[in-house]
Amino acid sequence: MTTPRCGVLVFAAVVCAGPLAAQGDVTARLVGRVPPAVAVAVRVLADSAAARGLPADPLVDKAIEGGAKGVAPERVIAAVRLVFGELDAAAAAIRAGRVAIPDGETIEAGAFALAAGMAGPQVTELVRLSTDPFPPAATLRVAGTLTALGVPAPQTVELVRETIQSGRSASDLLALPAKLQSRVARGASPAQAAAGLARPDDVRGPPPGQGKPDKGHPPRNPHRP
Amino acid sequence: MNAYDPLVKQLLDGELTLAELPPELQAEASEALRLLAAVDRRAVMLPETLDARVMDAVRTRARAVSLTRRSLGWITEPWELRLRVRPWALGAALAAAAALVLVLRGPGGTISKQGPAATASALPESLLVRFVLYAPGAKQVGLAGTFNQWNQSATPLVRASSDGVWTVTLTLPAGQHQYGFVVDGRRWVTDPAAPAVDDGFGRRNSVIAVGGTVRAGRVL
Repeated sequence: MTTPRCGVLVFAAVVCAGPLAAQGDVTARLVGRVPPAVAVAVRVLADSAAARGLPADPLVDKAIEGGAKGVAPERVIAAVRLVFGELDAAAAAIRAGRVAIPDGETIEAGAFALAAGMAGPQVTELVRLSTDPFPPAATLRVAGTLTALGVPAPQTVELVRETIQSGRSASDLLALPAKLQSRVARGASPAQAAAGLARPDDVRGPPPGQGKPDKGHPPRNPHRP
Repeated sequence: MNAYDPLVKQLLDGELTLAELPPELQAEASEALRLLAAVDRRAVMLPETLDARVMDAVRTRARAVSLTRRSLGWITEPWELRLRVRPWALGAALAAAAALVLVLRGPGGTISKQGPAATASALPESLLVRFVLYAPGAKQVGLAGTFNQWNQSATPLVRASSDGVWTVTLTLPAGQHQYGFVVDGRRWVTDPAAPAVDDGFGRRNSVIAVGGTVRAGRVL
């Protein structure tokens, strides 16, 4: 075999390996889980997603979910198209937040926030708030979870903004949903719980009597009103 | 063209004389000798430019072949492949190929999935998560979600007590997962203790975020 032919073959293999492997992966995951017509439609949508820089796995996951739930094929395809639209809208909103090329994880988190009830401009605002050490994906997931828990989207944005701009850590941000659920379990509405978390004392540090106090803050007396 | 009699052929080859042939072959033999005598036996002289003209014609025809046909020929014509392999290099190549296969295949034997969930599964951070559902009248309860390809029989819950509490504990990779409980194999139920989002099929999925730290810009 001549050297030029070897070079052409190696180049072609390298160029084609990624897309072909991805396509084969999609097909392999769908075989036996969805009707053939759904598999074909999802493969086409997955190719379109990849061409637009969107992650394809959420589309496959949604199709598999529809197949497992016994949903009619046309409705599965409609749901996959809906996910495609959410991913596309999330990517656009994230790009508007000054992230030129968002990664798949951030796009998925943005799509989750949209599915939870947030609007595109709110996703953009959350991405703008996500300066180091707050990854946009983390901010979007927390905001989406808070909204899914029933906190109004504008209030969610404000809670996240106050948490980030008050100088708290990323772990504090990630702890917000659990704290909110704890308050809701004690009888507060999601909006009331979020309003309580927005107060600096609630955002900072663990509840009274739990954990180590922050440096510079003396331990509070839990029995003192 | 009629074939000559073997005796006439022998005459033409010089093995017999005309007189030795039987009378009935004399006419045929004479005609054959006449034709042989008519052949121009002078040496053939080729023009000196013939080679150059032939090669020009060959090159012109080669250029006239279409690109498609040449490409097709490039693909379909057999190639001669010569490999000279040193034994130690062959061993190293086989080891590299085996390593590549192991990397491309996921833990379940399928090609690795991309995205946050798969990224998390590749990391050591996985947590034990306990799922609980209160379903007093249920005969069986399953857990299905993005972490088990929505397979409702893959993760059955066990009855924790006689008062209808079902539970299961499993290891989940860090990341965000959507799931639901399947009661008696047909009724999908959301987790009342978890947030839920529209599933796109007219129902809702519960959502769980596993892990709570951020390292190197990635959510775990």
